[in-house]
Amino acid sequence: MTRPSGLMVYAFLYLAFLYLPVLFLPLFSFNDGTIVAFPIKGWTTEWYRQLGGQETLIQALVNSLVVGVVTALLATSMGLFAARAYVRYRFRGKEASEGLVMLPLVIPGIIVASSMLVLFISIGIKPSLMAVTLGHTFLALPFSVSIMKSAFDDFDVSLEEAAFDLGSGVVETFRRVTLPIVAPGIVASLLVTFTVSFDEFVLAFFLSGNQPTLPVYIWSQIRFPAKLPNTLALGSLLLLASVALLVVAEYFRRRSSKSSI
Amino acid sequence: MTKKNIIQLQGIEKRFGKFVAVSDLSLDLHEGEFFSLLGPSGCGKTTALRMIAGFQEPSAGKVIIDGQDMEGFPANKRPTNMVFQSYAIFPHLNVGNNVAYGLRNRGISKSEIDGRVSEALEMVELGGLQSRGATELSGGQRQRVALARALVMRPKVLLLDEPLSALDKKLREQMQFEMRHLQQELGITFVMVTHDQYEAMTMSDRIGVMFDGRLVQVDAPPTLYAKPCNKEIASFIGEMNFLPARVIGEEGDGLTISIPCFGNMKIDRNPNVAQTGRDIEIGIRPEQLEISAQKPENYDGTVQGKIRDVAFYGENVHYHVQVDGIDRPIAASVPNYFHTVDHRPGDPAWLGVQSASVIDLGQDQSKIK
Repeated sequence: MTRPSGLMVYAFLYLAFLYLPVLFLPLFSFNDGTIVAFPIKGWTTEWYRQLGGQETLIQALVNSLVVGVVTALLATSMGLFAARAYVRYRFRGKEASEGLVMLPLVIPGIIVASSMLVLFISIGIKPSLMAVTLGHTFLALPFSVSIMKSAFDDFDVSLEEAAFDLGSGVVETFRRVTLPIVAPGIVASLLVTFTVSFDEFVLAFFLSGNQPTLPVYIWSQIRFPAKLPNTLALGSLLLLASVALLVVAEYFRRRSSKSSI
Repeated sequence: MTKKNIIQLQGIEKRFGKFVAVSDLSLDLHEGEFFSLLGPSGCGKTTALRMIAGFQEPSAGKVIIDGQDMEGFPANKRPTNMVFQSYAIFPHLNVGNNVAYGLRNRGISKSEIDGRVSEALEMVELGGLQSRGATELSGGQRQRVALARALVMRPKVLLLDEPLSALDKKLREQMQFEMRHLQQELGITFVMVTHDQYEAMTMSDRIGVMFDGRLVQVDAPPTLYAKPCNKEIASFIGEMNFLPARVIGEEGDGLTISIPCFGNMKIDRNPNVAQTGRDIEIGIRPEQLEISAQKPENYDGTVQGKIRDVAFYGENVHYHVQVDGIDRPIAASVPNYFHTVDHRPGDPAWLGVQSASVIDLGQDQSKIK
């Protein structure tokens, strides 16, 4: 056992600084009082119980789930084909195209959001769940492309050639060999892109119109002090769900890189 | 008895942009033979194999398999199957499903598939391992699965791309014999690509040697070893002493030459090499040289020199003999019959050679001004 060095203490403080504030959310969601401050007045699960009866909240949750699922499917299917092309083929403009796909990671959300709003309105797409889904797909694409690229990186090209050599056509080869081998990567990509969409606020705020997603709904509730404990409870649940999804996604991503021999 | 040509390559060529990977390759492969394409890496042998398999279309020329022109037939429509260098075992399928993969593309009944799969696994000595996971196999087992998966399709030609290069030395030698036996039992034509001359020589009926995209010589292993058609092949296959010589007389298929150290002798003319001037190069295999302390009798050429190095290999001993007037020492190898090393560095020694062991390698390239 090595003694903790100065760097380890630094690393520990760094992580505490990053993540401790997040832990206040679940802590105060069990506080028996409407003011978010120490000392804790007492413990209650009342705020969680109240969540069940709020219809607008349920509707926002459903909106978020629908947007998340559709986004995950769109981004992952596009990411799957894009990643295969990036790993397998050399073509003109490949580097540029790979850079372009990663761009949403670095453009400020507010810029993307306002440009998309202008674009969508000018081509006749009203702010709606569909607009949010399109925006989220754009945001989630870099995640699915990089996850699928790592799945294809370890994939021996001769596996597809062997399937072809043994009589399978292009579609059969994809279905019986390519898909099953990259399946863990696909699951990881679905989960991550769903989470990206489910937690996203800025784009949804600009593009959702009168169909708020859950983060937009939470933002609207934060203005009412009486609703704050409810919001904390809801936020804690979302936090838990996100962490759980990402852990599962990471499990599948690792499995995908291990499965290739 | 003339055997049927199962594969005919007619002037096939493959260009990638300006790079010519394979140029004007013509070759007939007989039914039931074990043929190896041998050459250094990058010589185009794998590209040639992939054109037979249908993974690549020739830029020019024809691939004819069993009398049928294969143009427009991709790999999944050809009567060939391939064993890949990496084996390409499907990691998500167990051994049985790996072997059954191709049969399931053919709409064969389940019971027949099961029968043929277990028969194929028996053949490669993996009987009963159907449910073993692909990731649980050793290197040698994966090689066997790859063989079974291709052979179960009963291809007219089995193509093997460096099939033994991923195995360690002992296993590789064992598999060389097993594959040879399998091929003779089944009577299927095997076409193997390899850069390993020993692998090619131990397994093949005939070997085609490729350099820089060209097929240079096609012969049975003993002929290829004894009569390499040029210096490139002579130095690629086995060991060879290269010596300068001068043509002093020509009569039909024979040449009378003068070798600076061994004197004059009559040798066979090599029809494959150009000989424009009188300066030629000749080759002598180290094991064809007699080495002794006294002047050997009844040899067509003899010379005295001095032992410079002795290398003991176990099964034989190599002596490097320095001879006056020859830049590089001449290598002679002697089988280790009596577990003795008869000569020491610095000892004088005689070398003797028969004219039949001297190979004409044509115009001495170093003497062209």
